[in-house]
Amino acid sequence: MSGFRDSRLAALKAKIAALEAGGRADSESLPFGAAAIDACLPGGGLPLGQWHELLGAGMETELGACPAAFAALAAAPLARRGQAVWILRRDDLFAPGLVGLGFPAERLIQVCARDEDEALAVAEDALSTLGVAAVFAEVEGVDLTAGRRLQLACEKHGATGFMIRRRPYGGQARKETAGSAAATRWKIAPAPSEPGSGEFGLGPPRWRVELERCRGGRTGAWLLEAEAAYTWEAEHGPHPLRLVAELGDRQLAPAEPVRLSA
Amino acid sequence: MDKAARALGLFAGQKATDAMALVPDLVSAESEPEADATALTALADWSVRYSPAVAEDAPDGIFLDISGVAHLWGGEAQLLADYRARLAGSGIFVRGAVADTPGAAWALAHYGKGAEIIAPPNGQADLLAYLPPAALRLEPAAAAQMERLGLRLLLQILGLPRAPLARRFGQQTLVRIDQAMGRADEALSFRRPPHPWFARLAFFEPISALEDLQRVTRDVAAKLCARLEQEGRGARRLRLVFHRVDGRALPLEIGMALAARDPARIAKLLAPKLETIDPGFGIDVVTLEAEAVEVVSGRQVRLDARAEPAIEEGLGPLVDRLSNRLGGERVWKTAPVQSHVPELSARPAAPLTAVPPYAWSPEAPRPLRLFRQPEPLDLVMALTPDDPPRQFQWRKRLHRVARAEGPERIGEEWWRGDIDDVSPRHVRDYYRVEDQDGARFWVYREGLYEDGVPARWWLHGVFG
Repeated sequence: MSGFRDSRLAALKAKIAALEAGGRADSESLPFGAAAIDACLPGGGLPLGQWHELLGAGMETELGACPAAFAALAAAPLARRGQAVWILRRDDLFAPGLVGLGFPAERLIQVCARDEDEALAVAEDALSTLGVAAVFAEVEGVDLTAGRRLQLACEKHGATGFMIRRRPYGGQARKETAGSAAATRWKIAPAPSEPGSGEFGLGPPRWRVELERCRGGRTGAWLLEAEAAYTWEAEHGPHPLRLVAELGDRQLAPAEPVRLSA
Repeated sequence: MDKAARALGLFAGQKATDAMALVPDLVSAESEPEADATALTALADWSVRYSPAVAEDAPDGIFLDISGVAHLWGGEAQLLADYRARLAGSGIFVRGAVADTPGAAWALAHYGKGAEIIAPPNGQADLLAYLPPAALRLEPAAAAQMERLGLRLLLQILGLPRAPLARRFGQQTLVRIDQAMGRADEALSFRRPPHPWFARLAFFEPISALEDLQRVTRDVAAKLCARLEQEGRGARRLRLVFHRVDGRALPLEIGMALAARDPARIAKLLAPKLETIDPGFGIDVVTLEAEAVEVVSGRQVRLDARAEPAIEEGLGPLVDRLSNRLGGERVWKTAPVQSHVPELSARPAAPLTAVPPYAWSPEAPRPLRLFRQPEPLDLVMALTPDDPPRQFQWRKRLHRVARAEGPERIGEEWWRGDIDDVSPRHVRDYYRVEDQDGARFWVYREGLYEDGVPARWWLHGVFG
């Protein structure tokens, strides 16, 4: 009985996932390699062929360094499969820094857009290009219409988008739009590093990563570390991000509804 | 007409039968003016090795403008000697002269005494004086008239009053005299290197509607691309010019990352720019010129659908679209430069350049965001002058440093600049610091420690 129920449930979940992926049956995902994170994501990993929203807090809303670092690390395995495009409003991305994190900067094309609309248009164009695996765009915000357009572009050839929310220096914060077409929304904040015992200086970089929204999955918060950053091993290994700890103090609603049962 | 022929009594313009009578075993050949002209053009093309400005002088002469190039050969005499020697090597015997004006040089080459004549600057008048009037390239009627009047030498003509001279022999005679003496300019039509990648469409009626412009762009692109296709080539840069009825030419340019010859793609790249064209009273000619033409081998598109897609299919057109829409300098790939100075170690390169992996060592930590201008830090506290800071203020926020790493000393590249500007003040000591929240910064102290001089601290980037 329970076996039948489970199989029905699995079939239904697959059907919903297929509907959400816009009819693309072969919706792939990129596992983080940590069960705690992958369990929250639909398909057991970062959904590909969709776009993700990344944002920072405080100083990071203008700098956009932590979300960019997280996006580069999460997309590094993708960039090794194809080409990557990074759309900037401010030309301050430093390729040697990406190499240190293990991102193949030799496969990255950078584009400096003149304004917000142009950045979104270029992102859409790049996402719908064959051979482009990952597109990063630094934008102020993505409204519902732009988000749907990005989603359609992603579905063309299965490219994955990373929209890094970044405000121009001294600019006003944009009004938050209610809905979003993003598959996931992540909030990235820096976290103090832990050097190994007997070592001086800084340890491998760490981030406090919150999965704020996840279509077809659950939310969560974790402490992640780029273990191999700034070493020659940075570009090797299954996934550059390692789970250090699951963060208990979630400000969000509990992921699983409280089951009321007798 | 060489010496041997002259000795037999032959001369140019002689009847073939007379010549046969003089020399019974004469071998005669048909005159071929077209072949002569082709050979002269080939010779003019070859002469470019001496000077970029070469003009043909049909039927048997070549003008070279050697101003500013003679010293490369050791002087005018050496240039002329080298020219004649090389031609003699291939069985062509020529006479040459160097003078201030094309007219004087022509006269000396055709009628002067000797095969190599160098006229000193402003000295052509003395050399020309004893030449016949025909040396001035006069019209046949005028030359014959002078002959009849007993004017055998230029000396006699140059002294005559100008007005009667013009009345009797025509205005052209005066012009030729002035040109030979350097009193009037002479326009030579210099040889132009052939530009084969060119297509032109002329219209019966001038056009001005945008749809028409789009249509003719497609047509002219198809015309040029058919030829590129035939010869296995593609163009990297194209220049489309609309010629208006009022004589103005309106150019449009596009560039492509990979050489292409697909008319639809070229028309698509040009289409958004057509709106900027002001047709005025109409456009009657459109030309398309391909620059930077390269050999493009037709490559087989994927048999194996799983392989990485070819650049021509996806990335190439994307780069073209973006660089034509945003401007070439806004689309780039970062390429490495051998330099320790962080801001100099990366440079923007063309978006489809092949950059080797590990172009930068991952072991030297570099920030993800590098500021173009380092930003000054205030309220920096360090325990000793060469210690990392314990706290600093940046953009009105105080950061307490929890961990620090360094210094990494980066000196200036003294071998590049002026030696007088080199100073120990340009040395930078970089520290990687982490504040209480975990935010990681790349800060540096400028210059070496000096007693009594407060240290200056800068933020050069953030790691994220």
